[in-house]
Amino acid sequence: MALKFLDKYPKNTARHLWVLRPLYATLKNMIRTTIHRPVTIMYPYEKEWIPDNYRGRPGLVFEKCLGCGICESMCPTTCIEMVEVDDEKLGKVRRPQVNVGRCMMCGYCAEYCPVNAMTVTPDYELAAFTREDLIFDPYRLKWENVTQGMEVHLEEHLPSNLAKGIYDQPTAYFKVDRPKLIEDKCISCARCSKTCPVGAIEMVEVGVNEKGKPIKHPKVDDSKCVFCQQCINICPKSALEINEVL
Amino acid sequence: MSFWDWVTIRDSTANTLSPFDVYNLPYAVGHGLWDIIGGILAWLLNLIFPGNGVSIWLVGDAVSNALALILMAVVVFAVIFVVNITMIWAERKVLGRIMDRRATRIGPAGYLQNIADGLKTFLKENIIPDKADKKGYMWAVTLVIGSAILVSGMIPLSPRWFLTDYGVGLLIIYGLFAVAPFMILVAGWSQNNKYSLLGGMRAAAQMISYEVPMLMVFASVVLMAGSLNINDIVQFQMDNTWFIVPQIIGFVVFLVATIAEAERIPFDLPEAEAELVEGWQTEYGGMKWGLIMLGDYFRGYIACALGAIMFLGGWAVPFTDSLIIPEIVFLLKVFLLFFVMIWVRGTFARIRTDQILNIGWKVLLPLAVLNLLVVVLLKMGGVY
Repeated sequence: MALKFLDKYPKNTARHLWVLRPLYATLKNMIRTTIHRPVTIMYPYEKEWIPDNYRGRPGLVFEKCLGCGICESMCPTTCIEMVEVDDEKLGKVRRPQVNVGRCMMCGYCAEYCPVNAMTVTPDYELAAFTREDLIFDPYRLKWENVTQGMEVHLEEHLPSNLAKGIYDQPTAYFKVDRPKLIEDKCISCARCSKTCPVGAIEMVEVGVNEKGKPIKHPKVDDSKCVFCQQCINICPKSALEINEVL
Repeated sequence: MSFWDWVTIRDSTANTLSPFDVYNLPYAVGHGLWDIIGGILAWLLNLIFPGNGVSIWLVGDAVSNALALILMAVVVFAVIFVVNITMIWAERKVLGRIMDRRATRIGPAGYLQNIADGLKTFLKENIIPDKADKKGYMWAVTLVIGSAILVSGMIPLSPRWFLTDYGVGLLIIYGLFAVAPFMILVAGWSQNNKYSLLGGMRAAAQMISYEVPMLMVFASVVLMAGSLNINDIVQFQMDNTWFIVPQIIGFVVFLVATIAEAERIPFDLPEAEAELVEGWQTEYGGMKWGLIMLGDYFRGYIACALGAIMFLGGWAVPFTDSLIIPEIVFLLKVFLLFFVMIWVRGTFARIRTDQILNIGWKVLLPLAVLNLLVVVLLKMGGVY
């Protein structure tokens, strides 16, 4: 009341009483926090509720993982390394290993994973006594009880779809690009076919060379391909290149 | 003679050597304590050497009086110390509530946090800077905390809780309270550090300029009560009105000036941890720093106690002439004033260097003179 009066007549001599306003504010706050407790959360004893898609450390569904290495290439801090593990059921497979000491919890690995094998987890208490303890091998990276909320994946609205007026059909990132063969350069070595983690590349006979031996070119199965670019990277003659198909 | 013949709690006023004319509660407590401790000692000695003279000497008037005086000083100090610990705890808790956070957490309601902090400072290494002036360095901190404890011990809590009932009480307290700026200047100089020297200069400038309006307020209170004796001042307020009613201007001036004198936020320019590291305390570490901090709170206690004595009627309870547990009433008033100080600390930002002297000389001093004028007019008009 009195303070409103001061606002109305700012040239009044009593304007020096402005000091009363912050005093009133702090007293009000003190009374409020004395009656209702302060907002501080007593961390080790009580914890904040966190949502499923909280960006904690990455988690892995071991059986789902393809070993494609997209997470490794997407990681901004290069904390993911694909290691070969000798699993009892699956045999020798490539699986990601995460150095949590370097991880910045961005969740890109989970967002770009084509099969949602990599997830974000609500695990944020990662303190350890040695640096070795911070390196999570594929088995330690496993996370049980993966819920729908933890499977965060990015999807893109294609400009072509938007131009057509389609707004409700987001497309996964790995469907946008495909490897494309430059036929002159291919030497039929079949390394792309051997390295493909999903077996999407099949060597198809396209003809015979002057010595009479068959020429084989890779053929990509669009439904299987996750565009991990391993075939492009491994090609010795750079015969495969990135091609935007959608 | 049986055990109970040796250990008997006697009336302290019956001690012929007692220096006090009236009943003195801490002296009685000290006397009683010595009656128990000395009585047990005398009883044990008498068991081993029956009929010796030392036992009777131990419980005699002379030894009882001497030991009672020592124990009395311990009791008075212990009470002030506990009050100060509680004030630090209250400050931390209230500041926490003002800032919407939890404050201290150790012990019941966080009360033991100060004890833990004190132990921690004890465990720190005692570091003296190489190029510091060691005599000044050590003596300054000793005298800062020493004068603060001395003055807080000299403030009576009630007519029965005092060390000495002196006629010029307020003047002595004020004089010793004003020793600190000099020691702070010495401390700032002796550390051989530019930040501490700057802080010491600022502290001296600020304290000396705020002592002037404070002294004017003291003068007006003394003029109105007609005595420098603290008992007389309180008695005058009990007979008439509390001085906060006629001297409300003086009360506000006193509050602001004491906050500046005790170097508390918003007048903590000498410390100013954001710009001057820790001001004049920069090179003090470990227990020396802890003692300086404790000294600051002792000074805060002195300021609040003086405010309670001069303006809030000391140990008087309103609307009655009788005293109801006067020590507790007095300490409650002290805590009320200290709460105002905490409240101000939690509210305002630090004041600029130019503002601090402007407020001291251009605002507080005229207001103090105005207050003195009001007192003189009231005295001349025969109201008091």
